[in-house]
Amino acid sequence: MVDALIGISVLLPFIGAILCFLTKNPRGRAAIIVTTGVLLTLSSLLLFQNLHGPYLYTPGSLLGLNVNSLITFADFALLFIILGIAFKLGNPLVILLTLLQIVPLAYFELKMAPHVEVTPAFYIDNLALIMNLIISIVGSLICIFGIRYMEEHEHHLHLKKSRQPRFFFFLVLFLGAMNGLVFSNNLLWLYFFWEVTTFCSFMLIGHDKTEIAIRNATRALWMNMTGGVAFVAAIIFIFYNTQSMEYLSLQALINHGPGLTTALLLPFALLCFAGFTKAAQVPFQSWLCGAMVAPTPVSALLHSSTMVKAGVYLVVRMAPGYQGTFLSTMVATFCAFTFLTASALAVNMSNGKKILAYSTIANLGLIIACAGINTPAAIIAAVLLIIFHAISKGLLFLCVGTIEHAIGSRDIEDMRGLYNTMPAVSRITIVGILTMMLPPFGALMSKWMAIESAAHIPWVVVMVALGSGLTVLFWARWAGLFVSGPHLKVFEAEENQGFFAPIVTIFKGFSAKSKWKDPASIKVPLVTLAVAAIVLSLGVPWLYTSLVDPVLASYKPGLFVKPFETGPMGLTSGVGAFYVLPIFLVSIIGYLAAVIAAKQKDHRVFSAPYMCGEQYPDISQPKFRSHLNSWKDYVAANIYMQEFIGEDKISYWINSIALIILIVLFGEVLR
Amino acid sequence: MNMNDAIAVLAALFLAPLIGGLVAGLDRKVTARLQGRYGPPILQPFYDVLKLFGKEKMIVNYWQIVCAYMYLVANILTVVLLALQSDLLLIFFVLAVGGVFLVIGALAAESPYSQIGAQRELIQMLTYEPLLILVFVGIYLETGSFKISEIIATYHEPLLISLPLLFVVMGYALVIKLKKSPFDIATSHHAHQEIVKGVLTEYSGPYLGIIEISHWFETVFLLGLCALFWHTSFLWMAVLVVATYFGEVLVDNVCARLTWRWMLPHAWTGGLIMSFANYFWIFEKIK
Repeated sequence: MVDALIGISVLLPFIGAILCFLTKNPRGRAAIIVTTGVLLTLSSLLLFQNLHGPYLYTPGSLLGLNVNSLITFADFALLFIILGIAFKLGNPLVILLTLLQIVPLAYFELKMAPHVEVTPAFYIDNLALIMNLIISIVGSLICIFGIRYMEEHEHHLHLKKSRQPRFFFFLVLFLGAMNGLVFSNNLLWLYFFWEVTTFCSFMLIGHDKTEIAIRNATRALWMNMTGGVAFVAAIIFIFYNTQSMEYLSLQALINHGPGLTTALLLPFALLCFAGFTKAAQVPFQSWLCGAMVAPTPVSALLHSSTMVKAGVYLVVRMAPGYQGTFLSTMVATFCAFTFLTASALAVNMSNGKKILAYSTIANLGLIIACAGINTPAAIIAAVLLIIFHAISKGLLFLCVGTIEHAIGSRDIEDMRGLYNTMPAVSRITIVGILTMMLPPFGALMSKWMAIESAAHIPWVVVMVALGSGLTVLFWARWAGLFVSGPHLKVFEAEENQGFFAPIVTIFKGFSAKSKWKDPASIKVPLVTLAVAAIVLSLGVPWLYTSLVDPVLASYKPGLFVKPFETGPMGLTSGVGAFYVLPIFLVSIIGYLAAVIAAKQKDHRVFSAPYMCGEQYPDISQPKFRSHLNSWKDYVAANIYMQEFIGEDKISYWINSIALIILIVLFGEVLR
Repeated sequence: MNMNDAIAVLAALFLAPLIGGLVAGLDRKVTARLQGRYGPPILQPFYDVLKLFGKEKMIVNYWQIVCAYMYLVANILTVVLLALQSDLLLIFFVLAVGGVFLVIGALAAESPYSQIGAQRELIQMLTYEPLLILVFVGIYLETGSFKISEIIATYHEPLLISLPLLFVVMGYALVIKLKKSPFDIATSHHAHQEIVKGVLTEYSGPYLGIIEISHWFETVFLLGLCALFWHTSFLWMAVLVVATYFGEVLVDNVCARLTWRWMLPHAWTGGLIMSFANYFWIFEKIK
């Protein structure tokens, strides 16, 4: 049963992807995507239900072929495909990086260690299960959202021949590769899935085939290929330094004996470096920002549940392996620096998707920094942040995509007053934003844990503190812009629903009259993710005991100390306490009181904004009386602090400092 | 919930606004004397708020109501959590909720004045939030806990002695949060240096009243944080709180408002240097 579920998680997307590619009928394709998504979701839930503790599994053969040789073969095939693409692009850097993987890998597989068999090939612990749930559920929802989105997207582009089969081939394939990646224990398999995700992201970013799309896709390719080179180097060094194939098993590598720490430090550093490239840590942030040219489902998938999470997953998974070393502190320093600088760059942006991109980079930085801090509480913070970030960020990308199709812009200044025209989507976006930044929601709770556990490394906690101040700034003003605007008459038409008014208002807001017209394939993912973001935050005690704690238990078997106690109120530890339910209840009471106050039909007056008495008579128009009695529009805009932290001004310095930290890291490891 | 907690919650709910209002009244009186005026009666803030509640309910946008209430709720919650002696960082995050809703409320109105006020308020939050986190981290490093109850139970000397520089860092945050010059950038109670009323421009009547009351809670919360620096003796606690607040009023009256372009870099640089110096001090002591 479990073996079959693992097979479904990994292979079904591959089959679904091929079917998507072959089906020319849009409806048929939609049916295949939805079916794959539903089956993946079910299988991940069943896996979660049936697995207690780590599960080891080695698939013997697939259709009569040895899986191990099959993957080795596919690995080289993939590298040669990338080499072919590199020649087609005429990009010497990509050619070089591909050759730097093919040649050492061939030398390793043919000469150094022929016929490597690592058992178990799959090692499924709770972290892998959590990742599987995120990939299968959030990823599937994004794919489903993509059905309608791509229809409109191609409609805007006026394509003669639909390129959707190719698009969904890679989109669905991505899920399978990610599931394979998180289950893999054999590092060579992990490397194969790692390269598949690199390849898929390259194809998806360049999907629109515009000049900028191809340029950014190429950048994503070469940056991730440097990670690939580091990965191959890590595999070879593990074998070379230990002269044993045992440590090509990820689990053995992590639980290595105390005598091997020095020998394995370089491989760990190289694998962390591979994780940094994939998670777009500075100075590799530009590939993820460039990936914004791709259609929104791609951005959503890359940012929330796949690709970048692969890098994060690897570093967090390996955390016990390098605990207490110099590397660990450097990982924390490096990624806290990413958190700070990416948050600063996000403040600088007015493009909604770029804000999300930099915020993703910042959050990934925080997750990896937690892995570097490497205390039980920090690891829990990392795992919780992986979960909550995936949900809220996936949701926000889908929201921006929906808004972009409606208003033709992704600039947040153009989203001013959007609540008046698109109440439902705006409300969901605001929920997404608030779940990223305010208590009692999960993302903030993980930040709380992160700060409390970072407290003993002053420079890390300083960077996290400054960065978290910056995060509040760009989220709060974005949420505020949505509700900006004059009082509109539509709201007046709405009648008081009596006793149920507050409850109705929670769901419908102040504008019950305007209907949400988007199709179900857009509504369902948005609503599901928004509800999940809230409900899971409230269910944090449950989430903690059933999912996150076991992760920790399997990390340090025997030495396991529970860092937090759960209760109906929230989480408490020896040094702190975070009350989820009370804060939520009090907030709800405050909100209800406000709604009741707003619904009262007493002598309320709607006024125009104050304009020193020179306001235009129609209060819904932002105009004032200017010289010669003419009516002039007034406008306000956000402060983006260009003069302090302009992207073009500080990127150079950020990249330089990040490179220096990396050089120090490797210099110390090699010493 | 035991009896003591219940009393603490009730005190936070009912005593805090009274104290906050009185402090505001005293503040106005002292400020007036410093400026050579006679000043209003001590109870004037209460009369003002009562009057505001009798006024017409005038709004630009429904969201202002939601935001005023959420601002109030968040500020009450900070005082309650402080009274229950819970986690300092958690209280800090709840404090941020209040700030965020104040900003959203200001952004909800399209007026350029309140929009500018909102942007400035955000930058003020950006300035003091990291500083407060650094102060709390310093308290943790010194006492070994973020929980106020633990700190009071296990740490038996005044925090001010080991964390003097962090107390100064908190001073920056206090100036901003209490809306005192030179950092009353988002909204000021000195008419001569204000463009309209900044972040509060579009609030009037009862909703402005709610915001005033929230500010009283905020004041009590901030004074409570000051008190934490001398938790061992009631007398010295009172002296410290009164002296700090008087210092704030004095600074308010001798300074003119500065721009955020000055505030942000200077407060961060000064705050960071002092925090690191104080951390270094703590680490040396632990060794």
